[in-house]
Amino acid sequence: MEDYDYLFKIVLIGNAGVGKTCLVRRFTQGLFPPGQGATIGVDFMIKTVEINGEKVKLQIWDTAGQERFRSITQSYYRSANALILTYDITCEDSFRCLPEWLKEIEQYANNQVVTILVGNKIDLADKREVLRQRAEDFAQAQSMLYLETSAKESDNVEKLFLDLACELIREAKQNKLDNNDTAPMPGEGKTISYLNCCSLN
Amino acid sequence: MDTAIKSTNGTQSFMNQSTAKERADRVDPYGFERCDDFDYESYEELMSEYLVILTRRAIKWTRLLKGKRKVQKNVKLKRYVRKGIPNEHRALIWMAASGAQDRLEKNPGYYQSMLLSHHDSKLVETIRTDLHRTFPDNILFRKTSDQCLLKALYNVLLAYGHHNSSVGYCQGMNFVAGYLLIITKDEEKSFWLMDALIGRILPDYYSPAMMGLKMDLEVLGELVKLKIPRVWQLMAEHNVMWTLVVSRWFICLYIDILPVETVLRIWDCLFYEGSKILFRVALTLIHHHQAVIEQAQSLPDICQAFKQITQGPFVEDCHAFMQKIFTEPGSLSMATLTKLRTTCRGRVAEGEP
Repeated sequence: MEDYDYLFKIVLIGNAGVGKTCLVRRFTQGLFPPGQGATIGVDFMIKTVEINGEKVKLQIWDTAGQERFRSITQSYYRSANALILTYDITCEDSFRCLPEWLKEIEQYANNQVVTILVGNKIDLADKREVLRQRAEDFAQAQSMLYLETSAKESDNVEKLFLDLACELIREAKQNKLDNNDTAPMPGEGKTISYLNCCSLN
Repeated sequence: MDTAIKSTNGTQSFMNQSTAKERADRVDPYGFERCDDFDYESYEELMSEYLVILTRRAIKWTRLLKGKRKVQKNVKLKRYVRKGIPNEHRALIWMAASGAQDRLEKNPGYYQSMLLSHHDSKLVETIRTDLHRTFPDNILFRKTSDQCLLKALYNVLLAYGHHNSSVGYCQGMNFVAGYLLIITKDEEKSFWLMDALIGRILPDYYSPAMMGLKMDLEVLGELVKLKIPRVWQLMAEHNVMWTLVVSRWFICLYIDILPVETVLRIWDCLFYEGSKILFRVALTLIHHHQAVIEQAQSLPDICQAFKQITQGPFVEDCHAFMQKIFTEPGSLSMATLTKLRTTCRGRVAEGEP
């Protein structure tokens, strides 16, 4: 049996090139590679952290940002405990797409999912196109948490995942979430044509 | 003989001072930097054997082509292709076998006209986002390189996006075009090879609905169910979707999944024989590593196993691997594939929201 007190599934979404993979790699491996190839499909990493003496295992799902990949990646939303909706503070366009992403979340994620809005690339302050206040207001109006990060400078990256883990534990303790034994498995309960097997019938 | 000692951090130290690392280039013949933990010893050993094969094949190819720029498809050529096209003839054979050469000759100036046409700003933006995210580990894709391929990559993708506006640009096409440029070193040829791949050889993998991709992943599932049922069972038990573990295999045509030399050998057959080869490779990887996959006890384990099976000596020895893909998965007729594709396309279409 694996040794952990909590298991949470976190999915990163947001436009292509906003830095989702870099956030994941910074957090899981402590790296910011000078070049990071575009993510194709879905990638997956695991990191176990300790919070107040409890072991928390985080399954982190990193997705391709381009719109046409959504029909593949949205299968992973449903069983997510948390979503990290990422945009690039130096790219107005990535901010303007957020309502579209929220629609995706509403449609495909479970209604207990914790969503945090992340403005990445704050190391490029002189290229900022989205004011912090504007993003904060937007997040508040949508009842989302908000954080600005730099995967490059490692600013707030640890905080992002740990805060999220704390929030998930808090919710779990309030019985909003089931414990890890009954945490939904990815893809559970969905009619997935790739698995037209008896187990789903 | 050197004695390898496995140290605790996984790196190897050698009792006798080894110079394999000093003898090999830090960058491979295609511009890719070798990673820090690259196993130079095994590489040297493998290459010393492979070079013999390459030399033998090169002589045979030279005799076959006799300086000709045209080739006829036939059983002999197919056999030759399966045994590997020497790199100096790759562009020629890929162009000829895929029909790209015909298209190029019948459409002089077409590629340039696509570049001169009005640029769709959305397309430009999408391509630009991925430009610097294409092979960051390859020196030819850095602004600082004097043979920098970034502009060529941009041109090929832009021209293709205009040429086939229903596909436009899909992430993954950057890697495919990148490989074509590395091999052909020619924008126009790369463009027509993209046209052959996306327009004729592959089903609609890259179109906005990605129906062809979903169909083929489903087909792979069916083939695994048929040929490697225990793995299929495991995937079903853990609710693992094929999209999760293998979509990159198909979208990137094994780029960045398997070693460069192995990918090129697969592409030799892809251009000559078509997309069936992609299934042969996937089935071989899964079949050969069935025991490894079966040890997985959770979804993360399965994901890990599917990454693990694309690494190591089995895939690095590209010549042996290419022999295996025609034997290990057993028979796979075009008729079977066509039938499965029809069934699966229907199923995928029905499952669409």
